[in-house]
Amino acid sequence: MQTVSQIIPAADKPRRVARVFGHTPFLAWLLGAAAAVLLEHLLGETFAGLVGLSKVPVLFGLMILMSKPLLFPGALLYVAVIYLLPLLCVAGLLTRPANLVAAALLRFGPAFAVIVHLALFYGVLHFWADISGYRELTVKFTLIAVLLTLSLNLINGYMGEFSCSHPGFMALGAYGASTFTLTLFVNNPLFGKALLPGFLGPWLFPLGLVFGGLLASLGALLIAIPSFKTRGDYLAIISLAFLFIVKSLLENLPFLGGPRGMGGQPDYAGLPVVFAWTAMGVWIMNNYVRSTLGKSLNAIRDDEAAAEAMSVDTRHTKMTAFMFAAFWAGVAGGLFAHVMRFINPATFGVQRLAEMLAMVYFGGLNSVYGSIVGAVSLNLLGEALRPLELFKWIFIPLLLILVMIFRPTGLLAFREFDAVRLVRPLDRDSQGGAP
Amino acid sequence: MTYFFQNVVNALQWGSFYALIALGYSMVYSILMLFNFAHGDIFMVGAYIGFGVATLLVAMSAGGAIVLPGWLILILTILISMFLTALLGMFVERVGYRPLRDAPRASAAITGLMIGIILETGNLWLLGARRVSFPSLIQTVTYDVGGVILTNKKIMIVLVALAFMLALHLFVRHSKWGMAMRAMAFDYVVVPLMGVSINTIARMTFAIGSALAAVAGILFSIAYPVLDPYMGIVFGWKAFVAAILGGRGSIMGAALAGFLLGFIEIFVAMAFPSTLRDLIAYSIIMVILVFRPHGFFGEPYSAKLRL
Amino acid sequence: MSLLRVEQLTHYFGGLRAVHNFSLTIEAGRMHGLIGPNGAGKTTIFNLITGVHAPTAGRVVFAGEEITGLQPHRIAARGLGRTFQDLKLWRHMTVLEHVKMARYATIGYGLIGAFFGTPRRRREEAEIEENACRLLEMLGIEHLAEQVVTNLPYGVQRRVEMARALALDPRLLLLDEPTVGMTPEELNQMMELIRRINGELGLAILLIEHRMKMVMELCRHISVVVFGDLIAEGAPAAIQNDRRVIEAYLGKDTVAT
Repeated sequence: MQTVSQIIPAADKPRRVARVFGHTPFLAWLLGAAAAVLLEHLLGETFAGLVGLSKVPVLFGLMILMSKPLLFPGALLYVAVIYLLPLLCVAGLLTRPANLVAAALLRFGPAFAVIVHLALFYGVLHFWADISGYRELTVKFTLIAVLLTLSLNLINGYMGEFSCSHPGFMALGAYGASTFTLTLFVNNPLFGKALLPGFLGPWLFPLGLVFGGLLASLGALLIAIPSFKTRGDYLAIISLAFLFIVKSLLENLPFLGGPRGMGGQPDYAGLPVVFAWTAMGVWIMNNYVRSTLGKSLNAIRDDEAAAEAMSVDTRHTKMTAFMFAAFWAGVAGGLFAHVMRFINPATFGVQRLAEMLAMVYFGGLNSVYGSIVGAVSLNLLGEALRPLELFKWIFIPLLLILVMIFRPTGLLAFREFDAVRLVRPLDRDSQGGAP
Repeated sequence: MTYFFQNVVNALQWGSFYALIALGYSMVYSILMLFNFAHGDIFMVGAYIGFGVATLLVAMSAGGAIVLPGWLILILTILISMFLTALLGMFVERVGYRPLRDAPRASAAITGLMIGIILETGNLWLLGARRVSFPSLIQTVTYDVGGVILTNKKIMIVLVALAFMLALHLFVRHSKWGMAMRAMAFDYVVVPLMGVSINTIARMTFAIGSALAAVAGILFSIAYPVLDPYMGIVFGWKAFVAAILGGRGSIMGAALAGFLLGFIEIFVAMAFPSTLRDLIAYSIIMVILVFRPHGFFGEPYSAKLRL
Repeated sequence: MSLLRVEQLTHYFGGLRAVHNFSLTIEAGRMHGLIGPNGAGKTTIFNLITGVHAPTAGRVVFAGEEITGLQPHRIAARGLGRTFQDLKLWRHMTVLEHVKMARYATIGYGLIGAFFGTPRRRREEAEIEENACRLLEMLGIEHLAEQVVTNLPYGVQRRVEMARALALDPRLLLLDEPTVGMTPEELNQMMELIRRINGELGLAILLIEHRMKMVMELCRHISVVVFGDLIAEGAPAAIQNDRRVIEAYLGKDTVAT
């Protein structure tokens, strides 16, 4: 009898946690994260010294775990005190007021509430990234990866085809946007003198990205015309051929730098710019896949004949979606070029393809959450495992094989992403107790 | 004119490699309906296994343990490497593909891709980034036929490749296992009805494909005796495209497409700067696919599969 | 003017003659049966009418307009709904999404609406959803709206398919063996449903069915196809006594149930 009474409280524990944090809205978590970031700014360096670290751990101590395991307990302590403690405390304490605020925000309209949350999220991210240049770079690449992963997920997940040309689209976008900015705003050896005054550059940069995206869409059209007449694995092959064609075309165009590539892109892609484009891309793509128009992609994937019989113009839909996905890959490429500030054709090869596919299938097919999780986790993992050098490329593939074996469609497949649901208050009175 | 024939000879040799690798892709694709993206790296590993076996045999020969002539070492190398690489192929099938038999096909393609990366990295880790050279087993003999330069190696490579293709063709056509494979390519469901397990056929498909990749690897090492861990990427993806170009369900189609790819590449390099080789080769492939979406011998509705 | 007129339809698969000189006329609001032994070409006739295959020869006229060889989605958008023998449901989608999808052709908000979530899109989506819910209610499956179809029992899946076809707002419904594999209870419900669709909504129905009794009960006109040839046409009583029909069915030792 005694054992039973001992077990009950233990089994109750998760429920107790759920009772404490079950009603904590997203807003409270954001405020908690803000508190953590603030604390890191104020005390980070001092505390790092206290626990025996030479500097603030850049990526939650993950890299330290790999490179200097002896320092890891210190890093762990750092993460617990600087991040977890304030996060949990503030989120827990602010649960009630945050729920009120979240409800108030929603009263101004769902769009307003989402934008406020997004702004707050950006603020947290910005100050977190502010600590070191390396952090900022990692965040930028991760955001770009989210864009790439989601756009590839449109084709491979939502539409159920297998496209291999995404690095090619990315390359078209990168070269398109770079050509745009280098020709217009920068004096450089490839394109000569700048045509427009430099101060216009950052303002016209979006045009350059859109130009790159449209270029990628145009490339997608070339593939789409023959591909979507026939069923089956046709797209996989023709998109693969396309990828190789783009790559070797770029290698053979001396005015674009040939195999040596082009560098010196102006520094237009700051964190706010990358974040804004990623947020916009996710928003637009999510809008698309949640509309009936976009859901037709799922119908095509699950049964194309039935989709046709239910009045879905399958060929048109497939072509549109493919070009749309390519557009975002192109935009991501343009951002990538201006973050790296150097590109060459070798950047956009089969290796990149393997990386993108890994992120899509790891995170989960047919899911915005999945794409975000896949891109973020594999990017952070990739950075964290960097000290392992070669073994990184054994570890990550093994991880992915395991995921494929146990969850063949990825970790968070087939989830619908609803930003308004995410930001709503979670207390009983405002939501009728729904979790 | 002699220049032309010289290139025909070179293209035949070059195409032999593609054809042998494409056969492995095509078998897995036709019979199991899967993209085996690890196959290019199996070819690479096959070449390295061949290198290991040959080096060992040469060293033993030199040490005086058993003195073997070069041609015998070559034959032994091919046979032993085929066996070992076939084991590797079966292992890949067991680990990466069998657990995913009921999963979406794309997921299996991803595991293949990842296994390929592991093979490359594992190789880098074992042997380092340096390139290794394959021991020279047979003396090169050069024949001059009306200005066209032939070597015994080139002739041997093409003949051996053709011999293996013929053997595969006969196997698939006339053996019990080959029949089961053809049945499976035609329809997954009938194979268990024939009293053959799908797993056996899948294992055998991978084993044969990998063994042929090992042959390709060794023949390649004889012609170009420098090996590096990334040779599988360069050759694998191209051979994959060739396999599909041949058409699903057509093994001979894959071989022919492999030779065609060899011819395209050699003749493009003959007429244009060699940097344009990939560009033009893939553009031609794309144009072919636009007009023959199911490859040369593929059947649109898989009504009739020529295996 | 008749709703559907099929004239001299002929189709070959390679050298194989699947349908030969098949003609059929359906008046608005009527229920027409299409019967024949297995492999007689009934489903092929459906596929020819709905545009899945373009006929080798012959014409299909729907509501006064020729639709021969049009793409299936265009034919569907003109008001020709169908179900499939082998339940072609979308296995990752919910019941509600199935029904909404059939409104694809009526969507007016376009890509701009889809990308940016314009007010027009919200309005149209709300309309679509309302219609869909009404349909689900009519079929008695509104409580399953958010369920993914794969998890539902077979009889319900049939209903979902029916709801999806009805959501097209068709004038003619082609039903390809809607009761295959059903329990007697499910069968009765389905027959009741078909009657209601025909009666309440006034939809014309072309029904392929193996169960003679059911066809004889439901349809006033029946066409009999054997090996791609139309061998008899007329009222159930006439069909039952037609010598060629009896031969086709009873001449062989296996008779369809």
